[in-house]
This record gives sequence, C-alpha cells and structure tokens, in this order.
Amino acid sequence: MFQLTATPASALADEPVHIRVMGLAPLQVVTLMASLKDEKGNLFQSRAFYRANEAGELDLEQDPALGGDFVGVHPMGLFWSLKPEKPFGGLLKLEVMNSPFWITLDLYDSVYLQKSGVVQPRASLELQRWFSSPGVQRLMIREGRVRGALFLPPGEGPFPGIIDLFGGIGGLLEYRAGLLAAHGFAALALAYFAYDDLPNQLQEVDLDYFEEAANLLLAHPKIQKPGIGVISVSKGAEIGLAMACYLKQVVATVCINGSNAIFEVPLRYRDLVLTPIPSFLERMEVNASGAVRLRHCMGDPRDELNQQSVLPIEKSQGQILFIIGEDDECLNSRDYAEQALGQLQSHGRSNGRMLLYPGAGHLIEPPYGPLCYGSRTRGFPLPLLWGGDPVAHAAAQEHAWREILKFFRQHLVGSRSKL
Amino acid sequence: MIQLTATPLSALDDEPMHIRFTGLTPFQIVFLQASLEDERRNMFHSYVYYKANEVGEVNLKQAASLGGDYVGVQPMGLFWSLKSEKVGIKLFKRDVMNSPFQVQLKLCDPAVLLTHIVSTPPIVCLTLERWYVAPGVTRTQGKEGHIRGVLFIPPREGHFPGVIDLFGILSGLMESWASLLASRGSAALALAYCNYEDLPPKLEKLDLEYFEEAVNFLLRHPKILGPGIGIVSISRGAEIGLSMAIHLKQVTATVLINGPNFIIDVPHVYHDQISQTLGFSPQYSSISNLGFIKLQNIFEENKNNANKAAFLPIEKAQGFPFIVGEEDKNVNSKAHAQQATERLKRHGKKNWTLQSYPGAGHLIEPPHSPLCCGSNVPSFHIAMYWRGEVIPHGATQEHSWKEIQKFLRKHLIPVVTSRF
Repeated sequence: MFQLTATPASALADEPVHIRVMGLAPLQVVTLMASLKDEKGNLFQSRAFYRANEAGELDLEQDPALGGDFVGVHPMGLFWSLKPEKPFGGLLKLEVMNSPFWITLDLYDSVYLQKSGVVQPRASLELQRWFSSPGVQRLMIREGRVRGALFLPPGEGPFPGIIDLFGGIGGLLEYRAGLLAAHGFAALALAYFAYDDLPNQLQEVDLDYFEEAANLLLAHPKIQKPGIGVISVSKGAEIGLAMACYLKQVVATVCINGSNAIFEVPLRYRDLVLTPIPSFLERMEVNASGAVRLRHCMGDPRDELNQQSVLPIEKSQGQILFIIGEDDECLNSRDYAEQALGQLQSHGRSNGRMLLYPGAGHLIEPPYGPLCYGSRTRGFPLPLLWGGDPVAHAAAQEHAWREILKFFRQHLVGSRSKL
Repeated sequence: MIQLTATPLSALDDEPMHIRFTGLTPFQIVFLQASLEDERRNMFHSYVYYKANEVGEVNLKQAASLGGDYVGVQPMGLFWSLKSEKVGIKLFKRDVMNSPFQVQLKLCDPAVLLTHIVSTPPIVCLTLERWYVAPGVTRTQGKEGHIRGVLFIPPREGHFPGVIDLFGILSGLMESWASLLASRGSAALALAYCNYEDLPPKLEKLDLEYFEEAVNFLLRHPKILGPGIGIVSISRGAEIGLSMAIHLKQVTATVLINGPNFIIDVPHVYHDQISQTLGFSPQYSSISNLGFIKLQNIFEENKNNANKAAFLPIEKAQGFPFIVGEEDKNVNSKAHAQQATERLKRHGKKNWTLQSYPGAGHLIEPPHSPLCCGSNVPSFHIAMYWRGEVIPHGATQEHSWKEIQKFLRKHLIPVVTSRF
C-alpha cells in the first residue's frame, strides 16, 4: 500500500524529520522534491533521486540519494539543499511567533527535472518548520536607546539571558532568538543599525549602546543574574567579542566567523576609541558566478600598524567560544580566532576555545538552514560569496548548534533553573 | 588630464585590443568597469582594479590587476570576464552582419563600488566595438534541398576551404563562429539540424544523409576548395561531427570540442544502418550551488552496461584533433576523449591530437568570449552547468582558436602556396 510519511509534520526548525515511502515498485527510481515560499513570495526548491529497495520501500535515514541536490545518505538533505529560484536570494524567517515556514514535500514516480507544478506529483505532504514553540512570549523592546525583541520561554523563570547579534545585514532578525527561547533561554534579538530610529548605516560601534542593552536585559525580572551570554555572527561577532572584552556583564560569548580586531568603523566605549583597520576593496575577487569574495580585502591585525585596532581579549572575564567555518569566503575567520586564542594564551588565560569546521562557510546558521552560496546584501552592489561545501556546512550547523546550547547551559545556567 | 585609449577601437571579436590610461596621479588606484548590452537588453559587466605606475599610467599589456574579475596581467580580461547581471544568461550575438557588440569602458573612482556604480558618472569613458564579421564577408541563407543554415564566404576573389560548424542543442542558429571563421579565410556553413525554420523542433533521429547533403552543397560551391571539407563541432554537435568523420569520405578534417565518443540517445541513421544509442541515467545528474544541472555522471552506468555498438568507431575516421575542457562538468569530455584515443591507439592510428586544457569549461568558444558558468537551454527545464575557471578558460579559448585555424589550414588547403 502506497504511503509517503514525514514525522514530525510540525516541528521546531532545528529538529530533524524522518521521511519514508512505502508501496513503490521494487527498485523504482523516484524524485523527492521540497518547495518553500518565503514571506516575500520567493520560491526555494530542492530535489533528490532515490531508488526504492526490493520491497518498494524508501527510508531517508538509511537510503542514499543517487543524484539531485545531494548524493548519499542525508536524511535532512532536502532541507539544507533548498535553493532560491532567483539566484543569490537568502532564506530568512522574519515573522517568528505566529507562522512557520511551510515546506511542501512532493514525490514523483521517476526522475523529475522540471519545475514543480508542471506535472502532478504522485504524493504530496505539507511540513511546518517553526522558530518558536508554544508558550514562548515575544516582547517588543523600545526602552532608552535599545531596539529589539525579547523572547521569553514559558514559565516563571528566571531564565539565562542571551543577546543575539547578526551582522552587516542590519535590521532585526529574530529567528535564532526564537529558537533559543524554545530551548529555555531568554533571548534578546538586538538591532544596532538600519532599524527603527537607529542609524541607517553603521558609522561606528557604540559599545555603550550594547552595555545599555545588557543592563536592560539583566534588569528584567525573568532574567537570571549576574551575567548574560552573547551569540553573534559576522560583524556581530566582532561586536560580541568587544562585549566580552569590555563588559563584565557578559559571561559567555559565542562568536561565529567574526574578527579579533575592529574593522571599517571605529569602536567607542565611554572615553575609549579604537580606530579601525582599513579594508582594501581593490583586492576583491569576482568568481565565475558573479559573486564577490571579500576575504582578502581586510588588513592584517598582526601588522604593526594595526595593533591599536586589536581587541584586548585578555581583558575578557567570561568564557568565549569561536565557531569557525574553514571555507569562509567573506573573512579569514580561522586566522582571526587563532590570533585571539594566541593572545589569550600569551597572557596566561585559558577562557577561550575554537570549534573549526572544515568545509563550512561564513553563514553558519541553526541546523537544516539551507546553505546560502552567495547573496545580495545591504551596501554592496554585487552578491557576496559566503563559501561552504553543502554537505560539510550542513553537518557543521548541526554540530555547532548542539555545542552552542551546551556551552550556554554550562556557563549561564545557575543551580536554580532546570534545563 | 586623464586619458583612456584603446587600439584598435573597433576590431574582430578574436582580435586583442590594447588599453591604456595616462594622466593619473602616481600609484593611484583606479576602478575600471566594462559594460555591454546584448540584443535582448541583458546587461553584462566586468570590474577590475589597477594601480597606476610612478608616472601615472596603466598599460593593460603590462600591469597586473589588483583584484576584481581577474588578477594578474590579462590584457583582454575585461572582455572575457564579462558577466551577465541576471544569472543564467549567455552572451550570444544574433545579428553578426550589421552591428557589433559595443563595450563601454569606464574609469571610475574606486569608492564608487561602495555606493552605486550606475548613478555615479565615470571619470572617463570609451566605447569599443567588437565585430563578428570582417568587411567584405558575405552571408547567404543556405537553403538548398533539405539543408537549413547560413553560409559565410570570405572577402575577395579566390577559393577557400569549406567548413561546417555544428553546435549542441540551441534555439535557432549560432552564426558567430561561422562568421569569424569566414573573416579568417574559411568558407563556413553554420548548419542547423533541429529547432530552426522548418526543421523538427525535437531530435528524433540524426540522418547522416542530411549532413552529407550539406557537405556536397559546400563542395559544389564555386568559391569553395575541395576535395575535402572540415568540421568544427562542439558538445552534441561533436557527436554528429565524429559520426560524419567516420561515414563521410569527403570529411577530411574534424575538430571535436567537448563531445562524447558514443551516441547519446538519438540514433544516427545512414542509408540503411541505424546505430545503437548508449542512453543515460538521469538519476545521477547533480545540481550545482546556483541550481544548474550537471550531467557528468549520467553516462557511467550506461557505459558499463552498453552494447559496444553504441560507441563510435573512431578508428574509421580521417585525421582530427580533439579539444577538451578538463573542468568540463557537463559531459565529462575528458573521460570520453581518453576512451576514444585509447581506441585509436589500439587500432594503430596516429593521425589524431588530443588537447587538454585544465580549468576550461564546456563552452570553449572563440577568444574573448565571456565564460558562462551556466545558462538556460531550450527543452531542458533546469539551466545547464558549463563550469570552467575564468582565467584558464580565457587562455584556452585564445590558444585553441589559433590551433583550430592552423589545423584547418593544414588539412584543407592542398597547395602550400595559398595566400591568407
């Protein structure tokens, strides 16, 4: 009897799904296709070709894809290999509380190479991927200068607090904070430019603003004291590392593919100013697809002339975890993390460590997020190349997320709360 | 005063242009942009950074670029690194006779990349013309009997070697190769075999008598030398080219670019003989990062299980070179070429050449054609991945074009004292 199943049909976006088919002809070749429309109507698709066994069954947890967007045994491959119909579009969930991403899973009876909708699939399922869970509360934050969205787990608390920082994309991205709340953390998605009444362009990093946000979070009755965590990526991770260096309130920091020095715009904290290392845009490389590799455009923090821009990581009091994609085409993240750790070591400190992921690129997201090969981004007329090999990048996202949650549980959770 | 010069300003597409800047400040970093609008209003751009020397000059024949679409010394880099604004569009000249491609060269302030390239006026600007036909080349519709194509004859009086130009699956006809070949001294027939005028839209069988008719049409032409005809063929066209070289004695020189050594899926028919086909297994196709389809693994299983008759008996053909793009992710042509040459060696044949170009992709074209890493192909629903690395592909095209001309001259012109 023919059946296409996927369990669970509705889940958190970082949970795996088990896909199975029964009742096919023995050794039949089929196509499984996943389709998703984002909130702006952009279509993302993936497909893989499988061969059923002699009993006409297919189990994605055991059976290898023969071809398509990936090859081999990858139970979640259809999710992380989703590609935009319009090249260089990135997949981002904007509204986090009330709607999931809907993914349509289609089964075709043969090798299907056309766009979806041209031929009727044999079977179809709808899956829901959520970025928050029931009981999670979302509070708009607009106090003092602070702009963001606070996600609280269900229950009385108090909960360990985390500030969530994204990079040069600007605006406010809430999906990671929503997921953290679903895992029991109070997470503040914090905007710092191109949002509300914040500056349109990042002209300087005002660390006082981030301290204000940290204090605001700690002042909330449902947030554990005395220290908070920070999760940060790209330009956000440069800021996250600065917070770790200068703010006592920050006791656990995750820096994903960021730098160990101030680049592009100055950093200001009270009366301290760190001038930036300049970039050399003339070193950019356009690859065959038309996307731009920027990793060679940044000056070197080891250069004598750039020492005043290097963050004083030896001043950090909390724990620091560097999550690094070795194939990062945007930044030399491995070099920067190694320099930072070397700096700690030379000062006799051991509060930092690195997880290095070969084959992973710049945009290390929560698990099953599609690899974004390159995307158009604010402030640059050409798409930027992020890097990453799809299979290695997907594995890195799964592993890194588990490590990140473990790290925060270890260093943020007091004896009172149960996580 | 800043000056931008190019010599010549107007040239055949396979000719280099010498680009220079003067009047800059010493060691000034400049940003150069080349733009082209094709006949369907698609925009193509390339970008590069240079540093002026101590007297404020940049000479593209000597200066190494700092970054952008290419690094290093690449005098024609701005042309072959042009990229479509919309992913998946290939540069294609439809009207080869009446207009060139116009390439706008703009010298800009380096900071402009951080703002908006289009709205900021350039410091200095120059328009260059790239022609696909030399003055005096004539174009006639090749519409005799069943033949459908376009014939280009070189200028001036005389007799010229005849060449048939065969492509892969396209919509319409690509005339630019044939017009360039004619500009360089060979009479060239761009020959369609499907999806053109009243030819069938889809390929059901390949009747070699059609191609033989084309060969004889050329040999009958008053301006075309005999007794042999050459073929320049790429991709699926090279499958046909190889078959022609095997069956048609009049074919004496065959260039095969990135083609298979077997018959893919459409049988070849010659008089009463119907060939076997290898077939392919589409479930082994894979999809690139940008969503282009890669076909390189779809023949492996079929090759292992195939009837030997599906492989083309290459030892029966007259002399020819192969040209292979080693990065070729579309047809795995390197493996096919190796199998073909092994077969030739087994039969004691020596009249062949294999040229492998590391880093080149599937679409090896005349020099300075921009590398297209993937584009839409009619009758396929996913765009095809052509691959190739920009700089090696550019070098491959320059080298292979010269080699093709040399080869055609050697095998098609019977008397040494011909004039070109």
